This record gives sequence, structure tokens and C-alpha cells, in this order.
Amino acid sequence: MKRVYLGEFEEIVLLIVATLEGTAYGVNITHEIMEQTDRTTRLNQVHASLQRLEEKGMIVSRMSEPTAERGGRRKRLFTITAFGKQTLRDIKAVRSHLWSLLPSSV
Amino acid sequence: MMNTNKPVPPRWAKRLLQWYCAPHLLEEVEGDLQEEFDYQLQYAGLRQARLDYIRSVFGFIKPFAIKRKSSSTSNPLFSMNMIKHFLTVAIRNLGRHKSFSFINIAGLALGMTCCIFILLWIRDEKSMDNFHANGDRLFNLYQTIRANGEVTGSYTIPIQYNNNKYYTPLDSMKEVIPDVIALNFYATGYEKPWGRPENFQVDDKLYKSEGSRTSADFFSTFNYKVLAGDPKTALKDIGSIAISRKMAAFFFNTPQNAIGKSIRYENKLDLVVTAVFENVSAQSSLKFDFLLNWDLQMSAKLEWSSSNVLTTIKLAEKANVEEVTIKINRLLQSRIDKTKPFKTEIGLQPFRDQYLIAHFENGKPSGGRIEYIRIFSGVAVFILVIACINFMNLSTARSVKRAKEVGVRKVVGSSRSSLIAQFFGESLMLSLLALLLAIGMVTLLLTPFNTLTGKQVVSPFLNLSNWPVLIALMLITGLVAGSYPALFLSSLKPAGILKGVMRFTQSALWFRKGLAGFQFVISITLLIVTIVMSQQTSYVQNTSLGYDRENLIYVPIEGELSNPKGYASLKQQLTGQPGIAMVDRCGETPFAMNFVVDVAADGNVETQDASAAINWEGKEKDAASGFTPMSVGIDFIKLMDLKLAEGRDFSSSIPTDTSDAFIVNEEAVKQMGMKDPIGRWVSAWKKKGHIIGILKNYHTHSFHESIKPLMIDVKEFEYWGMVLVRTEPGKTKEALASMEKVYKSVNPKFPFAYKFLDQEYEKMYQNEQVITKLSNIFALIAILISCLGLLGLVMFSAEQRTKEFGIRKVLGASVANIMGLLSKEFLALVLVSFCVAAPVAGYMMSQWLQSFAFKIDLSWWIFALAGAGAAFIALITICFQAIQSAIANPVKSLKVE
Repeated sequence: MKRVYLGEFEEIVLLIVATLEGTAYGVNITHEIMEQTDRTTRLNQVHASLQRLEEKGMIVSRMSEPTAERGGRRKRLFTITAFGKQTLRDIKAVRSHLWSLLPSSV
Repeated sequence: MMNTNKPVPPRWAKRLLQWYCAPHLLEEVEGDLQEEFDYQLQYAGLRQARLDYIRSVFGFIKPFAIKRKSSSTSNPLFSMNMIKHFLTVAIRNLGRHKSFSFINIAGLALGMTCCIFILLWIRDEKSMDNFHANGDRLFNLYQTIRANGEVTGSYTIPIQYNNNKYYTPLDSMKEVIPDVIALNFYATGYEKPWGRPENFQVDDKLYKSEGSRTSADFFSTFNYKVLAGDPKTALKDIGSIAISRKMAAFFFNTPQNAIGKSIRYENKLDLVVTAVFENVSAQSSLKFDFLLNWDLQMSAKLEWSSSNVLTTIKLAEKANVEEVTIKINRLLQSRIDKTKPFKTEIGLQPFRDQYLIAHFENGKPSGGRIEYIRIFSGVAVFILVIACINFMNLSTARSVKRAKEVGVRKVVGSSRSSLIAQFFGESLMLSLLALLLAIGMVTLLLTPFNTLTGKQVVSPFLNLSNWPVLIALMLITGLVAGSYPALFLSSLKPAGILKGVMRFTQSALWFRKGLAGFQFVISITLLIVTIVMSQQTSYVQNTSLGYDRENLIYVPIEGELSNPKGYASLKQQLTGQPGIAMVDRCGETPFAMNFVVDVAADGNVETQDASAAINWEGKEKDAASGFTPMSVGIDFIKLMDLKLAEGRDFSSSIPTDTSDAFIVNEEAVKQMGMKDPIGRWVSAWKKKGHIIGILKNYHTHSFHESIKPLMIDVKEFEYWGMVLVRTEPGKTKEALASMEKVYKSVNPKFPFAYKFLDQEYEKMYQNEQVITKLSNIFALIAILISCLGLLGLVMFSAEQRTKEFGIRKVLGASVANIMGLLSKEFLALVLVSFCVAAPVAGYMMSQWLQSFAFKIDLSWWIFALAGAGAAFIALITICFQAIQSAIANPVKSLKVE
């Protein structure tokens, strides 16, 4: 099977979506990334990544109930798919394998 | 719960986001940004929050956020289901209003048929002389002569006569100017005034045909296909002749068989066939059945048919036209006699333009058939436009019925664009049907069209390369015709329609009236044009020419008739034969005396000898120009039935009449400025004599030209010209039979070829006759289509006012009242159209009439007739609908709510 290419930022977004277990949406993903990885990011970047991940079939989305704090607007909630999970595992396996080959001096 | 004083993100940024963001993403993005804004507001303050919001809005301007989601449900324009549905609706609509649909399609089809025919005609005209491979490097020489402050232009070039040979000053052009790679002279043998079909003989087979003389470069300059023989050397030898496939087939069966064979020409020269060429196509303006060597002409072994010599050069690939023109003029000036009182200049015109632009104005080619092309292109566009307008008016008239459909569609959720697409689709479908109908009509009418225009146009539908034009025609018609109904109907407000109130704004009504008015402007213009053209044509045909052109037959003087003995024998034997009243000769065809001598100055051969020019008693230098001298037999004036204003006719009982008498016409007297002209001397061609009579002016030329000063003297015999035979009325058959018998015995080597003078006279106006017939047809069609449009408008108006009429009738209005009500406003429309059309048409027609020296007046009744005609036709159309509305039962119209 042809491997799906996943960018570094996309990988982080995918991991965060998995972490947030079905409650992930634009704003909390952005905040989570800033908190956990100590890097600055913007909503539009996150949205673009989410869009691509959904196109690649690694996450799925549904609309939530309308919420008051958003002026009655709905959120789009993202959940990781089995394919997304498998991709994450594959990436991790490759990394661990490469780490194991590394000489101890590094 | 919401705090109304809570700070909000910048409104313009939010608007921007709402504008560009795809609808399916907008909700979540807007929500996320709002949430983030609130978060920032809490932790970083208002300023930072706002800045951050703006940055994010701009950050979202990316393809993923802008791109609209495409799916079959949100875009009905391309859905198969909807297309099928639209088609069904369209067909049902067509079927429900059969007469309406028929009027609609028929109108469009008529317009298209006209358009296709005009396109065919224009294409055929434009293809004239356009088949030569190096067409863009072929140029005709024309000369501009300035004399006595007058500038004249013609295609011919100066010719000199010396030692029994003719020369042109440009003979050495190829050697002197390297850019000229081919030089070709061309003169016909059949042009007026002296030309005629020439005669050929092989063994005992006789053949009469029209041909030309031309240079050896002919086949390398032009692309006429040579079937047999070498095109390069074909016309090099003075005794050579190139013949057409037709002529080869007549004499020798096959083209190959003809090469090297000998043909006897005019019973005096033996020529050898060196080439056989394909019959000259209709696309060539040079017409010839055979070609003779140019040197044969220039060595004075052949007669000149006229002073016209067409000179064509082929330039080298990179040659500059202006430079070549300058060089040619330099060459010309070095070779001609500069003491002449006139100046000659040579200009170049692209060869392919000579058919369309053959008139000269101010010494330069300008105008000609190209004007008809321009006019008819306009007519084609206008007819198509009025057909489209028609369609618009009819479809909007029906809109009351379609409006409910539009309302329901809109309520159910149809977007405006899909409605527009639906109506455009419908109009395209109708225009496709109209195109099919038009194709059928064109195919049926092609033969009559060819007869009418004298062309050989083949069906354009067999050639695939024509289809894009037809499809473009269909698309343009469909889109133009469909534009107004599509935009109008789709703009209706559903609430209003479904409530049953159909209100049209005043401007919409005016727009439609304007369209119908425009149709009538065009129709009335065409009507006036038609009336003027027909009047002028019938004026030309019915005005007395000053002589009796009926019952006149003429035969060219050739062969044995070119001998005094032969001619005398023919004349003597013919006189007294059954059916023949009188026989005599004359030098030129009496209705086209194209041979004109300028007294003062002329570039022609004939006046090189100063003593040969026209002269008269008391003549001042440079006094007048354009005399027509002619020698005739002694009975000519009686035979032609010409009227004398003063003096007496030639008489055979007075012996001096053949040597010393001249008869001139009134115009000549005027130009010579003579008082008391009888008895004064005049001279022409070294012959001096006294004026014995003055002829009333009669038409020596076509009505395009004014009457020329004429000088007639008696020469009982010349070796050229024609025998005129006056037959007794109603005895043409007997006359022809006896003529043939006599002719065969006198001139056995030449076929008997006769012409009726009145028929030949009519042929001079062939062009005008074709144009008149075409404009008749187009005017008829334009009126027809406009009336269909008017009918649509009246129907619409009647439908709108059904209730009003119902109430009026209940309250006691008569049928006439209601008809008057409906007719009044439309007749006003016709009146306004007339006021616009009359000056336009009047101006156009006065321009057209300029080309005639003898013309009708543009009198008021022509305009009145056109206006009354249009009003009358409009009234009939209106009544057709008005009667229906007026006699309708008011109970029915008032019952429906």
C-alpha cells in the first residue's frame, strides 16, 4: 500500500485530535498545541491542517449542538479514524526503529 | 444571558469573512474566531483581541476557505435530472400553444434563412478572384489622368502606335524593376463597343466563343489549371492559342488530343493549340474561352474590342508596393510624350479587389459592388435582429402564462440562475428547431436563389467547415432572442405572481414597444428602399429612349460581311424578305456607345494623331470633351426611328450626303456652342463635312451616364460594326428564318448569331434588377416578421386587459370601441417609426440614385405609400387579435379570478 504522507504539523494536529477524544475543534486544538508543544500557531493554520487531514481520511467531523458562547453557532467536532490511528502507529514504529539503530553516543 | 455591552470583533473584518468564506465553512470558522476573540479579550485585552481577529480573518483567505463545495444537489445547472425536466417542460409548452410556437419558430427560421442566403451571397462575392495562389502579390495597374482640371481613372494603360505595331510604355517593366517578377497584359475580344464572339473552324466544325488575348506570363501569374500542354511556354509563340476544356472537347474530344492541332481563326489565321485549360470557374472575373498571344494583338493582326487593357503584375515576395509604384511611374514618365496637355499616373490595386471595387472616384478605385456587400450585410444583421425582437416580444407576451410557473419554481427553491438557464435553454432549443427549418428552406430555395442572382452556389450544408458558422448563428440567435425573456421572467417576485397580480413596470412596457417600433423602423426603411428601387428600374425600362427598341435584331459584321461585296449582298438579299422591314449598318450597339473621344486630350490610341480628333467651325482650344463619333448606313435614322429637331435626314437621293454630311445631336450643338448650326462644318476622323440636321437627344448609354454629344456621318461600308435589322411587328419568326437562310449563303464559315436589341438593353441593368428583386424579398420578409412581433404585442396587451374589456362591454362599449382602443396605441407606434425611418431611407436612396444620370424624383408619395402600407398591414395584424378580444363574452372574462 502506498504510504500516506503526513507533514510534521499535521502529525501534531492529528495527535491532539486523538488526545482530545471526540471533543476536538478549532479553538481547543490551537490552545492545546500552544500549551503542550510551546509553539505559537494560528487558527487558520489549524483549520487548513484539519481540512487536509479530513480529505486524507484520517479524521472525520460532525457538527455539534449550537452553543451559547459562540453566539448560537455550532462547532465542528473532529474524531480520529482507524486509518488515522494506524498512520500514527506506523510513524511511531518507524521512529522507534530508527532510534534503536542510533549509536548510544547521540 | 448575553451582555449587550460586551466588546465585539471589528464589524468590517467579520463582513469580509462572511463575503469570501465558503458557506459550508462559515459557521464553524466564524464560531471559532468568536471564541478565540473572547478568550483573547479575557487574557490579552480588547486591542490585542481585535488585532488578532483581523489577522486571523486575513489568514483565512486561502483556497480551502474560499472554494465553494460542489455537489450535484447544490448546483442544478448541470444536473441531468433538471435538464431532462426542463426539456419536458419546454416541449409541453411548445405543444400547448401550437400557433404561438409556430409563429415564434417560423419567424426565427425566416430570419435565419435570409441570413444564410445573404451570407452565401456575400461569401460568393468575396470569393471572386480569390483563388490565385499568390493573390496577395498580384496587383492591377490603373491610370489616373489629369486634364482640364478633371481627374479620371481607369484600368487601362497608355498605348502607342508606331510602324504598324502597338506598344505600351511599360513593356520593359520586368527588366527595369527587379521586384516585378511577372508582367501580364490582358484584353478581351468581346467587350463593347466593338467586341463580339469570335469564330473558329476545324475541318467543317464551326465554333463561336468569347475569349481574350494575353501575355506569355499569364499562366505563371494566375492560377488557371492547365490540363494539357506546358503552361510556361503555352502563349510564347505568336501563332499559339490556349483553349478551354469545353472548346477542346468540341473540336478534338480530349484535352490531350488537342495539343499541336491547328485551328482556323476568323477564317484568316491558322493557330496551333499549345495548351488546354480547365473551363474558367464562376469565381473568376476574367472570363475567356480561349487565349490568344499578346503579340498577335500588338502587331495589329487582331481587332481591338475596346481600349481597355488590364495590366497585372506579380511582385517579388518582399517587394514594397509603394516603392514599386514610384518606380513604375518613373519608367512611364521616361517613355511617354511629355508635351501632351494631360498628366498620366499609374497606381496599383490588389488584383483580388478589382471585382468588388471597380468604380473610380477622383481617379482612384473606390466603391462598386462592395457597397452592395455592405448594404446586404446590414440587411442580414437587421433581419436577424428583428426576428430576435419578435421572439422576445412573443415570449414576454406569453409570460403571463409562464409567470405562475416561475412563481412556483421560486417558492420551491429554484435560484434565479437556474431559471435564467432554463429560459435560455428553451430559446436555444427553439433556435435549433428554427435552424433545422431554415436549413430545409435554404435547401429548397437554393435553385431559385441561384437563378435570381445568376450564381452557382452549392448547398453549404454538405461541407463540414460551414457548420461552425451555422452553430454560431444558432447560438447567437438563441442567446439574443432568449436574453430578454430569461432576464425578465426570472426577475418576477413570486409573492406577487402567485397572488394573481401581474404588474409590469412602465419601463418594461416601453422597452417592448421600443423593440416593436425598431422593427417597424427597419421594415418601413426597407419598404421605401424597395419602392424607390422598383420605380427606378421600371423608369429605366419604360422610359422612351428616343428610339424604338422593339423588333430590332442585330448581327455582328464578321467573316464575308467584312468585305464590301459580302455586306452588300447580304443587305440586298435581306431587303424585301418576309418579316423584314429595313436593313442597315451601324458602328456600335446603339444603346451602349462606349466609344468616346475626348476632344482636347485622351490617352487612347485613336487620338494620337491630332488631325483625327473632332473639330468644328469656330472651335476654341480645350473646348469640350467626350464626343461620340459614329458612322452609320444611310437609313440608320429611319431604321432606329430617331426624331430630328431641325434640318433633314440623310437621303440617298442627295449624293453629297455620303461624303459631306453630318447629323449631330442637341447635346453636341450645346457643347460646341454653335448658333445656327445647320450648314456649318465639322470634322471627325479626317472627314470634314457640313451639318445637315440636328437629332433630338436620345439615350446612347445606360441611364447611369448622361447623354453624350454625338456626331453621325454616313459610311455605307465598314469592316466592323453590326447589321441592324428592323422586323415587322409580330413577324419575328419569319424574319429570323429568312435572315438565317440568307446569312448561311453569304457567310457560310460563320455561325449565324443574332441578338435582340431590347433583351441586350435589359441586360445592362442586370445588377440593378437582381438587387431590386432581392430587396423586394427582404422587405417582404421584414414586414412579415415585424407583423408577427406586433401580433405578439397586441396579444399581450389584450391578455393584460381582458378584465378591463369585460367591464367595458358590460357597461355598454361596442366592438368598434374596443378595437379602436387597442389599435390606437399601436398605430401611434407605427407613426413614430415612420418618422424615424423616412429620413434615413430618404438619405440612403438619394445616395443610391446618385449613380444614375437619369433618375426618378424622391417624391412625397413614395414615403406616403410606404407609411400607409406599413400602417395598413399593422392594422390588419392588430385587428386579427382585436376582434377576438372585442367579441369575447364578458361573462367568461369576468368569471375567472
